[in-house]
Amino acid sequence: MGVSARSTRSGKRRIAITVVLLFAIVALFVVRLVDIQVVRADTLSADSLGNRSVEQPIYGSRGDIVDANGVVLAGTVMRYNITLSPRNAVEFTRKTAAGDQTVTVAQAAAEVGAITGQTGDAILAIISSSLAADPASDYAIVTKAVDVSVFRAVDALEIPWIYFEKKPGRVYPDGAVAGNLVGFTSSEGEAQAGLELGQDSCLASTNGTETYEKGADGVRLPQSTVTEKAAVDGGDVVTTIDSDLEWFVQQALAKQAQATGAAWGTVVVQEVKTGKLVAVADYPSVDPNNVNGTANPDDRGSRAFTASFEPGSTFKALTAASVLDAGKATVGTQVVAPYRYLPGNGANINDSSGHADLHLTLTGVLIESSNTGMSKFGELLTDKQRYDYMTKFGLGTETEAGFPAEDTGILHPYDEWDPQTKYATMFGQGLTTTALQVSSIYQTIANKGVRMPVQLVAGCRQADGTMTNVPAAAGTQVVSASAAHDTSDMLEMVYQKAWLSKVWNIPGYRVATKTGTAQMPDGHGGYTHGYLVSVSGFAPADDPEYVVSVSLADPVKLNTSAAPAPIFQEVMSQVLKKYRAVPSGAPAPALPGTW
Amino acid sequence: MSDNLARVLRPNWESAPRHDTPDQKPLDAPAQPGSRLRHIEIVATRSQRRARPKIAFALSAVAGLAVIIVAQLLLSVGISQGAYEVSRLQASQTELSRTAESVTEDLVRVSSPQSLAANAEAIGMISNSNPVYLRLSDSAVLGAPSSATGSQAGAASLVPNALLTGVPLVTQPAQSTGQGASVAGAATTSATETAPTTPTTPTAPVPAPGAGLPTPTTR
Repeated sequence: MGVSARSTRSGKRRIAITVVLLFAIVALFVVRLVDIQVVRADTLSADSLGNRSVEQPIYGSRGDIVDANGVVLAGTVMRYNITLSPRNAVEFTRKTAAGDQTVTVAQAAAEVGAITGQTGDAILAIISSSLAADPASDYAIVTKAVDVSVFRAVDALEIPWIYFEKKPGRVYPDGAVAGNLVGFTSSEGEAQAGLELGQDSCLASTNGTETYEKGADGVRLPQSTVTEKAAVDGGDVVTTIDSDLEWFVQQALAKQAQATGAAWGTVVVQEVKTGKLVAVADYPSVDPNNVNGTANPDDRGSRAFTASFEPGSTFKALTAASVLDAGKATVGTQVVAPYRYLPGNGANINDSSGHADLHLTLTGVLIESSNTGMSKFGELLTDKQRYDYMTKFGLGTETEAGFPAEDTGILHPYDEWDPQTKYATMFGQGLTTTALQVSSIYQTIANKGVRMPVQLVAGCRQADGTMTNVPAAAGTQVVSASAAHDTSDMLEMVYQKAWLSKVWNIPGYRVATKTGTAQMPDGHGGYTHGYLVSVSGFAPADDPEYVVSVSLADPVKLNTSAAPAPIFQEVMSQVLKKYRAVPSGAPAPALPGTW
Repeated sequence: MSDNLARVLRPNWESAPRHDTPDQKPLDAPAQPGSRLRHIEIVATRSQRRARPKIAFALSAVAGLAVIIVAQLLLSVGISQGAYEVSRLQASQTELSRTAESVTEDLVRVSSPQSLAANAEAIGMISNSNPVYLRLSDSAVLGAPSSATGSQAGAASLVPNALLTGVPLVTQPAQSTGQGASVAGAATTSATETAPTTPTTPTAPVPAPGAGLPTPTTR
């Protein structure tokens, strides 16, 4: 009985202890559970995800800039930054076929340097300087933007403290061909000049991000990729440029500019019937692959768009067309052109070299390029009429090409013209134009008086092949077709009879040209001794297809329009040959220049 | 046990109609052999028996479960195997697209006008900047025919291309890989070498493309 009672009591106690213990353990678990599941739930799950999930950027590709035939002028390629972890830069063991071998930091640095073109010491200096700045430094850049072959070679070294960063880079396969137009981006990928800048809204891409989970061995877990934001590729900018012709024109320009010692020069080739620019060459030019190779920042753009100058006598074609359009004169209207003309309002007009009075027709005035003769025709129009013609020809405003930082040229309102400017604007002084604006004047005359918008970009080609931002292609009638035709006939006489006719002769074609020799302003209201010499014209004159406009600034070795004339001849021949322009049939009408 | 039951029960059910007694007398009858008596139990009704799960069902359920587990295991093994496969293929795709990008870069680089011009000159080609036209309508020859004298491109490329640095010309085969035999740099040297020679008598070793061109003979 006593035993049984004791055993009952001890049994109860055991049960009680067990129950208490059980409760204690359960309570412990509950507390732990609440702690993990509720109190620290967010941090813990974030940590765990962080351990296995990897977020990486998806690079959208910046659009290409292509020429009219689809040749890539600017493209995007993947480049790699080589980085290292300075604090982890210690010797390591490399497994080779010959057995394990220990590679010291200096050896590894020398191996990397041999591939990247640095010295091993330079790389060791990178390590030591970052460690000096921060002993726990985990990141230092060895070299930036290497290509695939370098990346692979360095990767093959299997140095554990070398890492790579992917980074889209910009490449310009044709180098300086159209480099003046295409522009360039910074090493950070920001558009800095040219079409890269002007068309950035078309070209720019948007990077996306994707997150996936990886296992301990780094392999992506199946079905775990979550694209959080899709990358959007940029559109392609389709230009109107022909890269082969562009190269030829740049080459011809550079050759003659160097031969004549010109400070700079431009050549514009424009399609008469569409206003499209086929080639726009600048000298000196920039190779967008090596922007720093062009020392002067002014040489890194396109002066054809951004530099305005007093055009000089090439402008007389505009005045002549205006006078003809207003019906104030015909190609045969006769004037007496003295060496010096004093119109009576205080102006003083000279011709470039002394001569006796010349009996010239309007045609003859253009052939002789007489300032006094042209003044006598120009004053047949009011200032307002001439100003209106000039603005209709596109002066004083940017062209439609949409090139960044394009110059408008200076065209003062006619009521601000002083007596000398009133006359000077008849023969291309007292106002400034860009090379593009001069080319556009000749395009208008060649295209039966219809000025087409200047076109450099044909549009932005989206990923699905649709073209957006296609520029308007409606022309405006500036002068009548007959006035334009008569002006063209007179310019043909200039081509045949002017003193350069041997130099710019293109057998088989009828060509219309005009030279210009304008003193260059010194920027302080006066003139320098330098001249801006130019030749503009179009061919074939019986059915004009292409305008070529050449300008050379201050060719010290040959300070006349004989300097640009060979470029005009060479470029125009090439253009006519390249585009298979049909040689002219009937000869040009003979117009008398004198009486 | 159910086997026993079945054996015990069967005769009882069969005998019931023979005895024609409603109170199931034979079950209680003492006349039955003793051995049989020991096995007498309460028997479920037919509907009860139907409702009771058979061992076969349990077995098949367990087997089914096992099959599902095994299948799931296999599937998941297959998927992870696939993940490694996918990972491997993606790595190789990345490598291949890198190669493709790299060779495309090389291709567009050597297709640049500077490279083409320098190479054309290096193999003795001359661009004629003096075109002459024959007008078929009246057989007029427009322009003065003259032999091509040196190409327009001149001695050296005046339009630089930094990408061509270190790219050898076609006339400079493998022995000069990357040793400063660039198009830009070599254009000057090769042009001075070839300039005095006329295109008909190329002294420079003409490579395969030039040699392969058929030469028309006129008699």
